Amino acid sequence: MRKIGFPLVMAAMVATTACSTGDNKPSASTTPASADQTNQQPVTISIVAKDLPVDDPNSQKFIKGIEEGMKAEGKNVKLQIVPVQSGTYSEKLGLLLQSGNIPDLIYFQGGDYNFAITQQILEDLTPYIEKSTHVKASMTEFNKERLKNYPYLVWLAPISSKIPVVRQDLFNKAPSGKTLLSDPTIDNYYTFFKELKEKSGAKFAYTTAGDIDELDVVFGQAFGLTSTWIKGADGKYVYSKTTLAEKEKLEFYAKLYKEGLLDPEYLTKKFDTKEKAFYDGQAGVIAGTQGKVIDIYNTKSVGQNGPGANILPLPPAKGKAQGYTPVDVSKESRGFAIAKTSKNKEMAFAVLEFLASPKGQMLDKLGVEGEEYQIVNGKIKLTDKFAAWYPHFVENTVNFKPDKEFDPSTPYLSEPALKSLEMFSSMSTKDNAFIMPAELAAKWDAASAVYKEFAADMVTGKKSGADFDKFVQAWNAAGGKDITDYANKTLK
Amino acid sequence: MNANSRLRRMWADKVLYVMLMPAAAFFAIFHVWPILGMRLAFYEYRILGDHVYVGFKYFKELFGTPIFSQVLANTLIISAMKMFLIFPLPILFALMLNEFVNGKFRKAVQIISYLPHFLSWVVIAGIWFEFLSKSNGIVNDVIRLFGFPAHDFLTDKAAIRWVLVASEAWRNIGWDSIIFLAAILGINKSLYEAAYVDGANRWQIVTRIILPHLYVPMVTVFILNVGFIMNAGLDQVLNFTNASVNSKVDIIDTYVYRVGLINGQYSFATAANLFKSVIGVILVLSTHFLSKKLTSKGAW
Repeated sequence: MRKIGFPLVMAAMVATTACSTGDNKPSASTTPASADQTNQQPVTISIVAKDLPVDDPNSQKFIKGIEEGMKAEGKNVKLQIVPVQSGTYSEKLGLLLQSGNIPDLIYFQGGDYNFAITQQILEDLTPYIEKSTHVKASMTEFNKERLKNYPYLVWLAPISSKIPVVRQDLFNKAPSGKTLLSDPTIDNYYTFFKELKEKSGAKFAYTTAGDIDELDVVFGQAFGLTSTWIKGADGKYVYSKTTLAEKEKLEFYAKLYKEGLLDPEYLTKKFDTKEKAFYDGQAGVIAGTQGKVIDIYNTKSVGQNGPGANILPLPPAKGKAQGYTPVDVSKESRGFAIAKTSKNKEMAFAVLEFLASPKGQMLDKLGVEGEEYQIVNGKIKLTDKFAAWYPHFVENTVNFKPDKEFDPSTPYLSEPALKSLEMFSSMSTKDNAFIMPAELAAKWDAASAVYKEFAADMVTGKKSGADFDKFVQAWNAAGGKDITDYANKTLK
Repeated sequence: MNANSRLRRMWADKVLYVMLMPAAAFFAIFHVWPILGMRLAFYEYRILGDHVYVGFKYFKELFGTPIFSQVLANTLIISAMKMFLIFPLPILFALMLNEFVNGKFRKAVQIISYLPHFLSWVVIAGIWFEFLSKSNGIVNDVIRLFGFPAHDFLTDKAAIRWVLVASEAWRNIGWDSIIFLAAILGINKSLYEAAYVDGANRWQIVTRIILPHLYVPMVTVFILNVGFIMNAGLDQVLNFTNASVNSKVDIIDTYVYRVGLINGQYSFATAANLFKSVIGVILVLSTHFLSKKLTSKGAW
């Protein structure tokens, strides 16, 4: 009996693989809405989103606000939150969708490509946005470009790009700070970093969370790395990280590391420890996402270190070019999608349209009147409760025009946050990165790993510029050559 | 034994079978039934419409991936290091605990040694990062005390696997020693008394009485560990890795997590898991039969 147990199990497993193909039909989650919405039962729209827990009072308040707001506009809708298992959102969402449970409105935070292209369960949003008023008005040029290239996600938030910031009190201790702001050359940045370390009490000038991406925000373009793919003299595209510009950049970073200007433990830093080092004054400069994140940094820094410790956004370094990290416009990296299986696609989009409307943006951004904000002397005054409220759908301020001013004591965004938005929009450029096809995903992963390891080794002094050619060979061997061939076919 | 007498014996032990039922149900639902889902490795999964049978496509993709040989080697090396280096430690720890005369002290040591087992790898990684920090970690403080330069263990390709082994040992020695300590405590006291009467010292008691009683649990645990040789520790590696050392610790699980799960390539991920499972089953069976042949003791 014992001897045949295992073969039996294995045989059962092999047998199942030869069975007929499973037909996995998703169950309809909703019933179609009739054209006439008045005096009808509400249309149920199921929605899955990150940070929208079913039992959270703020979520419930928010959902109720959307339903009431839409009802006032003649759209009787009932929003039903679909819970997601705790853990990495993109992974758990993937498992939810793969099981055939497909909500009408889906928020993705990566991992959407498989569902849009391979599984083809996401709706092309182009016609909906064409017909829209508020969603269209809330899109930046980058959003429009991304939608053109990948029409399955819409994300009405500032481009998730980072900009460097320094604490004002530390900045004031470095005499070269003013020179840096007026003329941010690579050399002036280097001088400023040295002074930060020597005079402000910071242990190191700059820290990042595990890689050099947040350092590239400042220096990438200055070294000539103006896009992911750079056209060579022969007219062919090469991967920017295999060029001499990259080598020069890494040599500069190695100098920063060697002199203790770059955090000696940046490789093992996580986001929380990076931010803690900044608030504690160990790190002079960090990079944060423009807008709301800079706002949070400012609040926390002032809260911990007093009013003199407000945040000052810094410009990108000036060299062969000047600009923050070029913006990838191949697709939105996150955002909302509508399921092809939805019986109420129009109504699902109407939810997004409402949230992008003036009324919807007030609710999404500010919360409920009388709770998160009050109208005092005809002005919007944010309450203490506002600290726990944040926009889920429309973080953009592109089309946010409340009919009342904000009380000066409680602005919607702090001055540093507004400045970061302005600086980014005036000093950002489009990238030419493209969507990596599924068949190249493994090669891209392998080639990226080769680059990341070499960059880390070169910055930390384990390797030098003399090893750069070997790295390029290794990168090509790991799949980079095939990716470069594909790039030259894809890029115009 | 014929079928009738077997049934009679089962009926006599019915209470034990009832006690076994929850565990049997657990394994049936969560471990045996999912085996049927492994067929996904041979299909292109479709949420809408029929799945498409693709045979060994995903296995070819897995074996043909540029860094498959590297992640396979890392998996085997890290697992083997853990298996052979950590395996004796819980046994030694159990023997050491058994030597404590003071029962309260022994209990306190036991409880403290179990605690790390209940910490998540996120917390453990945080603790170890503090331990090994180049600038203010206690390990480097000691190194500097002896006049040597500080060393960054966490970004050192030669050291990172040892860090994984050490942190795994720190987490599990106490917990894994329970089974051996239970076996030691189950030894008939009259054997010790007889040995003392014969003039045996503590060392002889350990080598002639205690260790022979530990052979069966040792062999069983070792064989079961062999089955997990393809699981080098996803959570641990994810928390300890960084760009500088990834090529030394990137294992099949982390690779599948990155390329398979994050990108929604579930068939690919299933193929990788099926490959791991088959290797595990083969190793367990071959180790069991080899052990039976050499020592007449096996996992069953």
